[in-house]
Amino acid sequence: MKRIPFVVAAGAVAVSMVLTACTTTPPTPTASASASGSTAPKASVLRVWAGSSTPITVDFNPFHVDTALFGTYGPIYEPLFFYNQLSADPPTPMLGETFSYSADGRAVTIKIKPNVKWSDGEPLTADDVVFTLGYGPNKTDKMISATATDTTTVEVKYSTPQFTNESQLLGATMIVPKHVWSKISSYMKETNPKPVGSGAYTVKTTSDASYTFTANPNYRDGAPPISDVQYLGLDSNQSGQDMLTTGQIDWTGMFVANPDTVTADGAISTMNQQQDPTVIVTCSDAAKGCKGAQTDPAVRQALNVAIDRPALAEKAWAGLVGEANPAFVLLPRDQQWLGDPSLAPSPQSPNAAQAGQILEAAGYAKNAKGFYAKDGKEVDLDLFSPDGWTDYNDAAKLIAEEAGKAGIKVTARTVSEAEYWTPVTNGDFQLAMYGLTQSLVADPFSNYDQYFYGKSTAKVGDAPTRGQNYSRYANPVVDAAVEAAGATNDPAAKKAEYAKIQAQISKDLPYIPVVLNASQAFFNTRGFTGWPTDDNLYADPLPYLSVAPAIVLLHLKPVA
Amino acid sequence: MVFYLRRIAFYLVTLWAAISLNFLLPRMMPGDPAAIMIGKLRRASGGRELSEETVKAIYALLGADKSVPVWDQYLAYWGRLLSGDLGISSTRYPYPVATLIGNALPWTLLMVGAATVISFVLGIMVGAWVGWKRGTWLDHLVPATSLLQSIPYFWLALVLVAAFSVQLRWLPIVGAYDVFKFPSGPEWSWEFALSALYHAFLPALTIVISSVGGWLLGMRNMMVSTMSEDYVLTAEAKGLRPGRIRDRYAARNAAIPSLAGFSIALGFVVAGSIVTEQVFSYPGIGKLMIQSVQGLDYALMQGVFLVITLTVLAANFLMDLFYGLIDPRVRSHG
Repeated sequence: MKRIPFVVAAGAVAVSMVLTACTTTPPTPTASASASGSTAPKASVLRVWAGSSTPITVDFNPFHVDTALFGTYGPIYEPLFFYNQLSADPPTPMLGETFSYSADGRAVTIKIKPNVKWSDGEPLTADDVVFTLGYGPNKTDKMISATATDTTTVEVKYSTPQFTNESQLLGATMIVPKHVWSKISSYMKETNPKPVGSGAYTVKTTSDASYTFTANPNYRDGAPPISDVQYLGLDSNQSGQDMLTTGQIDWTGMFVANPDTVTADGAISTMNQQQDPTVIVTCSDAAKGCKGAQTDPAVRQALNVAIDRPALAEKAWAGLVGEANPAFVLLPRDQQWLGDPSLAPSPQSPNAAQAGQILEAAGYAKNAKGFYAKDGKEVDLDLFSPDGWTDYNDAAKLIAEEAGKAGIKVTARTVSEAEYWTPVTNGDFQLAMYGLTQSLVADPFSNYDQYFYGKSTAKVGDAPTRGQNYSRYANPVVDAAVEAAGATNDPAAKKAEYAKIQAQISKDLPYIPVVLNASQAFFNTRGFTGWPTDDNLYADPLPYLSVAPAIVLLHLKPVA
Repeated sequence: MVFYLRRIAFYLVTLWAAISLNFLLPRMMPGDPAAIMIGKLRRASGGRELSEETVKAIYALLGADKSVPVWDQYLAYWGRLLSGDLGISSTRYPYPVATLIGNALPWTLLMVGAATVISFVLGIMVGAWVGWKRGTWLDHLVPATSLLQSIPYFWLALVLVAAFSVQLRWLPIVGAYDVFKFPSGPEWSWEFALSALYHAFLPALTIVISSVGGWLLGMRNMMVSTMSEDYVLTAEAKGLRPGRIRDRYAARNAAIPSLAGFSIALGFVVAGSIVTEQVFSYPGIGKLMIQSVQGLDYALMQGVFLVITLTVLAANFLMDLFYGLIDPRVRSHG
């Protein structure tokens, strides 16, 4: 049961294998209380499966966004501030103390905490921040200068307004020590097996089956109560579930179709925060080279009303997913940014008649086989998903059936993972099941900028050089609004621009929203206290996220 | 002597063909590894723009092959191979393929190898016995073990894990050793060896259960037909002990065809057991193979296929020589 957002949010080891394992086994027997000696967890060691598969190849290089091991971001390297993706609250200081933007958004002044030390005992100063901002992949041609005005103050100047990059700069840039990284010749080739960071943990030991962190004695707030954290590598979700029910792991985030079997014993609690939209991505713009009937917005609109979202949620996702909306805002978090409340949620019951009306109004008519056609050309769409991602495969099959009932011919097929990414990236497709990554802050800007902005796409045959607008969508109204929203910090003005974007994209539907993906976390509340709760969502309890797990680890205490 | 020279020449040609195929096959697969890696990076970097520098670096790393003529690539491939360089994995960048394979190979050889040998020996012994006692209730063993073999392996393994590891907690769920006791990985100690044995038991058992039926059936049938041979009748007429007839006359000759099958099975041990490794999170070559195919990691794919090819050929070669030794007919007509 694997979905893109898993990997996406993970931002680390390719966990595809891990998560493809299906859950067709008989329900796992509930754990009995009599755990054998070797499986009883020691109180202060927290065992985590964040999604790593075996063999684990040691890599704590924060610039390897794809292959760095879980825990590199947060527990070892820290950003300046923590942005909680579950709330609209202001960011929490980590290495930073305060920050302020100039009125035009082209200058940022950051104050960092004084007297902070790296895990090797060296002092952490504004110089390290300046070094980090100008290092490797952090370099951007929009940055004019970064200067340390004293040991705790950094001033950064840009050529363009940077309001929308706030969370990138302050919440996703891991500060690295100058005295270490200035001596590393190639950041691409470095695996950084003994990282020097500022976070609450350092690496204790590694093997090809697991790696263990231990409390950093130089941590600025004192060593955390959980002294050791062991991250395991597992190759199937079933193993993860079995280890959880037998008390061998304490924390994981994965899809479990029947979570009650895991939590029945009372030791494990679960939380399911749906965030990332699962969509049908369409190659939408014929002018960019897309081929097929889906380039006609009417076909996409018809498909949008023809699918039965509650049935899909039940049959393909065991009812664990949330309702998606065509404005691509996360509700209720982003409620203030939703221009037209009627846009949320997407239609929740199939309406074949309405689909027919949309198509007939656009000049389509049913042919002898009962499918819509225009100018003698039958609408015949190809919808593909990676083989083994069973939720996508099932959803695609159901979508094809429902579209067929509405007279739209859709053929669902599965392809290997290799054959999936290349056409999606290069635009050589009609329809594909796909997962978008929800904006990590309470502002949908990055959704629009990444997936809908004209400059985030490329002609069919090329891969976009910035952004992930694989739908090839380009709309001058949206482009102008994205640029205007990016240049302002005034909420009212921003909302007005977002409303323009939402009106366009919910009509054009380059991505047809299906559901909001489940992201289930499981954690041991019998052995550890301090986990996030529905009333206190201080951080998302998914161990594969970046930074948030570090915040959770700092809140945890072993039960005596 | 001519026999052996001929065999050696034949194997050299086969080796060249196999290694060349190994070069060609990954290149015929659809998809572009650079596009896959850039897509992954883009999703992983959560909205940060990938710098031109990074994109170029990835194309230089993974896509450069396209601009070089295939023939030059082929020559470079041989050059690297002969100097023992298997390249750098792209899915586990920047780890060398040789390291990845080197770490996985011992586990595969020991666990899958031992399971294959046990399964063969068990199948042959029981098969000989069942064939010897043909017509008795023992014949029921044949359909029984065949049934076990026809159970989907994935399902069998999951059921055994659910029963013995999760419900009864007699055996571990995953891993090749106790990762909680040995967080730093393998070490030279009795305690570790015991832990490794304990962890290998269930995976090996599943392999044995699902493969013993084939050996048993083959051996039993050969045994039955060998026992109708004249020399067995002669031996009986001479008044030899039944045990001697069974072991020295019937079983020894009946095992010859199974030995050929065994050499092939031994060669494929190195390919690991993909599903076993998956279900038990057991380290091994099979996993590397499937991960490399999914991530279009050409270097790793070629490395894994090369190791498999070499072992299959080596196992066949040894068995050829061995065959010549135990069965003189092969030598004179070969």
